[in-house]
Amino acid sequence: MNKVVSLPELVSRIEDGASIVFGGSSLSRKPMAAVRELVRQGRRNLHLICDIGGPEVDLLVGAGAVQRLTYAFVGFEILGLAPHFRAARQQGSLAFEEWTEYTVMAGLDAAVKRVPFLPTRAGLATDVLAVNPSFRRIVDPFGSGQELVAIPALNPDVALIHVNYADERGNAVILGDTHIDVLAAKAARTTLVTCERLLSAEALRRFGRDLQIAHIWVDGVAEVPWGAHPTGCAPHYRFDLEAFQRYLQAASDPDRWAQHLEDLRGQDHPTYLQAQGGRLGLVERLRL
Amino acid sequence: MSQSTYTLDELMIAAMARELRGEYLVSAVTAFGLLAALVAQGTHAPDLDVLATPESGMGARPWPSVSLGQVIGLSQGAVPLSMEEIFDAIFQDRFRIWINPAQIDRHGNVNITAIGPWEKPKVALVGSRGIPEDSSHLSQMLYYLLQHSPRTVVEAVDFRSGAGYSREREQSLGRAGAPSVLITNLGVFDFEGPDHTLRARSLHPGVSPEDVRQASGCAVWIPDDVAVTPEPTPEVVSLIRAADPLGLRHWEWKPDPARLAALWQGERAELDPFRPEARRWR
Repeated sequence: MNKVVSLPELVSRIEDGASIVFGGSSLSRKPMAAVRELVRQGRRNLHLICDIGGPEVDLLVGAGAVQRLTYAFVGFEILGLAPHFRAARQQGSLAFEEWTEYTVMAGLDAAVKRVPFLPTRAGLATDVLAVNPSFRRIVDPFGSGQELVAIPALNPDVALIHVNYADERGNAVILGDTHIDVLAAKAARTTLVTCERLLSAEALRRFGRDLQIAHIWVDGVAEVPWGAHPTGCAPHYRFDLEAFQRYLQAASDPDRWAQHLEDLRGQDHPTYLQAQGGRLGLVERLRL
Repeated sequence: MSQSTYTLDELMIAAMARELRGEYLVSAVTAFGLLAALVAQGTHAPDLDVLATPESGMGARPWPSVSLGQVIGLSQGAVPLSMEEIFDAIFQDRFRIWINPAQIDRHGNVNITAIGPWEKPKVALVGSRGIPEDSSHLSQMLYYLLQHSPRTVVEAVDFRSGAGYSREREQSLGRAGAPSVLITNLGVFDFEGPDHTLRARSLHPGVSPEDVRQASGCAVWIPDDVAVTPEPTPEVVSLIRAADPLGLRHWEWKPDPARLAALWQGERAELDPFRPEARRWR
């Protein structure tokens, strides 16, 4: 079955109010072109689920597209804090739920396994348990007396994932770190993939075990070169520090931020890439 | 070795390296953590495996960079690891990491989540990330601070992202994930003071007990015969300098956006997979 569609078509399958889990981690291989398309299409009231969130979360929060955020981390790593996430947390303007790095994975894994929860020791003796109303303390039902934390299943409506290569059925090759992408693809009801390049099924099989996401988990594919920009997509390109610094400057001032959003809304992906220096500029700054 | 032949960052990294031993995956999210692991691996702990990224790239010979971790690993043929594998290594205590929290308290609780109350923070930081996992499973928890001050070393953290000593810990975790050591710009500390509180193990050369008390927001147990942190050997100093071609440790010490951009612009020049050092990484 051929699942290839355009980026706008792919993103149009995500409804207002959907819960979305993102592939990638911090400044690595985030599905940023799809996230910008969500902003362009004016999606609202989203519930974001992220393990190591960053630019994708901050942009959607700053665009007013988010109602709820489930996260283990949101930040710009070496570039500092995420400005809109930080402002929203300090103003309490969204529903926030703090999870942890493994418990987000456990919640997704519980969804895959069709069990209501998975137990862990993570979170014991921390304040995460105090502020996270979704977790429950339980005691080993087999009588050891061990206290545990029950992590409820996370059942995302959508997984949005950017990969290096895919074929038309949705088999996906990831060459760098896989982060939580395979788990996210399996846990979500609908998995939407963008890729740097579409390849034939035969060409894809040559990557062996780097074919990380099998087609059975995937519902739609779009070819989106530089689709992770400004995050990196190893080994093709690194993250764009200059673009991030421009973003952080725009985010520091309400007028500039409004202009930034207006610019984004007026650009499709090819126009966006032109504004980032075009293919030549991107290659020169970022190619590895 | 005279004072002028090493810098404070190198003294700290050497002290951090001495804490690492055995056969573990070592993850690094900072230049300090990565360099400490490389020094340990290059001297007394050859069985450590220093990952190229926080979560993957086994068997690499990484160097601190702004944006190149994954590519350094890939160009050196490092072995990819999944997140499941990383957390299994954490749960089974086959993993080590140096963590640089925003706050640490007397009992070794750490905070990277928020300054002020969680519901309405004065400063929202980043969220607990994987520290709850580390601090409930690892037999050695390693913390460091570049600036020992009353704002970073506190009586009680505003939010416990990581579990220090507490009654709750005693009941549900025992010693698993308990804080082992804190290395700051002033000294090396552990939590073996009365009732598992902060205790000085050694103070860096030239640092007095009074300096530590002034810089701490809580009581610190400083024995009368407290040791002086050993100076790094010339071998270790040259290891650190060679392992950090960009000098990213200096940037971490004094972050500055313009300087970061310059490092990022120049760092691809260091990425030559065919240079001899890259090929004989072990």
